[in-house]
Amino acid sequence: MRHALIAAALSAALFGGAAKAQARALPDRLSAPARATLERTIDSARTAGLPVGPLYDKASEGVLKGAGDDQIVRAVRSLARSLADARAAVGTSSDGSVLTAAASALAAGVTPVDLRRLAHPSSGEPSASTLATALVTLVDLVTKRVPVAMATTSIQSLLDRRATDQQFTSLRADVDRDILAGRAPEASVVERVRARTGPPPS
Amino acid sequence: MRDHEPDRLPESLALAVDLMRQEEVPSAEWRDELLRRASAEPRLMRRVTLSVPWAIAAGVLCAALGGAAVVGVTRYSAGAASAARVADGVAASTTANGMMLPVTFSVVAPNAASVSIVGDFNRWNPAALPMRRSPDGRTWQVEVRLPLGLYAYAFMIDGRLAPDPAAPHAAADDFGTPNSMLVVRGS
Repeated sequence: MRHALIAAALSAALFGGAAKAQARALPDRLSAPARATLERTIDSARTAGLPVGPLYDKASEGVLKGAGDDQIVRAVRSLARSLADARAAVGTSSDGSVLTAAASALAAGVTPVDLRRLAHPSSGEPSASTLATALVTLVDLVTKRVPVAMATTSIQSLLDRRATDQQFTSLRADVDRDILAGRAPEASVVERVRARTGPPPS
Repeated sequence: MRDHEPDRLPESLALAVDLMRQEEVPSAEWRDELLRRASAEPRLMRRVTLSVPWAIAAGVLCAALGGAAVVGVTRYSAGAASAARVADGVAASTTANGMMLPVTFSVVAPNAASVSIVGDFNRWNPAALPMRRSPDGRTWQVEVRLPLGLYAYAFMIDGRLAPDPAAPHAAADDFGTPNSMLVVRGS
């Protein structure tokens, strides 16, 4: 029984490894030159210690959405640069989720300086989950036309007060509800954040 | 009072509003319930760890079937983030790299003939995760087991991509259609 289990475990490990390798393949539709360019970009990112999963995912997303090879290559290169910039801003020890969320925040217009502040709030380091959720919330607010500076300040004030994951999630839902009711996104954010943080110090 | 015009909303939000304003949505209360559920948070209810031999055996079986090794069983309540939520009473599994959580994606599309979900978790393959129509006839659902992490995704409704109306949207719109974001977290 013991040997059978070991054999099964080894098979599972091999199977799992094969499955993982397959999951990291570039899409078949790409031309050979585009594939070669992407492989070089991904190898460089891997050598630099960046997470490469999001780069493969970006290529697959582009194929599904009917993008041309050049457009896919540009998007993957841009993401690789954003991941490197994000790591420089938030720290080399950050996990993949935080780096991906931070790269998204940079793409939304958050400056590297502000991103560094968000990752290192005055109240102490947030958990990876909380920081990723905060950054995703920030990006969502920007996509809803909240000015970047206002969204950044709002999320920073919540991080400084050690807001929880669910507080960020509920903030986003509250703002969504306000927008659906016809409220301006900026006004909603100001009020909803103030309700969570109290009045500004005089 | 309205202080913005609906037709000036960003495209990603306009799509979400369109989905929520479909004629067959029964009431504003229903929409509010969706938003309430979107803002709810998964709460850890109970954690039960299997004995080592059973965990190994279950892990081998699970890995052989799907590449995941079950070494623990965790129950989570309903009501996690957005239309993508941790399902009620469904066992979570764990891989060598970390916990895998069951996430239920749902979207209201009463007039759709087919709905699937595409994202970072299935290589954006529309055939990989078809969604099932719920008994109410208007909601489509699918459950996916995901490791902790951050994922971009979208629904494909009758061949047309649409973001999740109840989830945060991604910033980068590299290919012309917006994505939603999901943070899968352990507690």
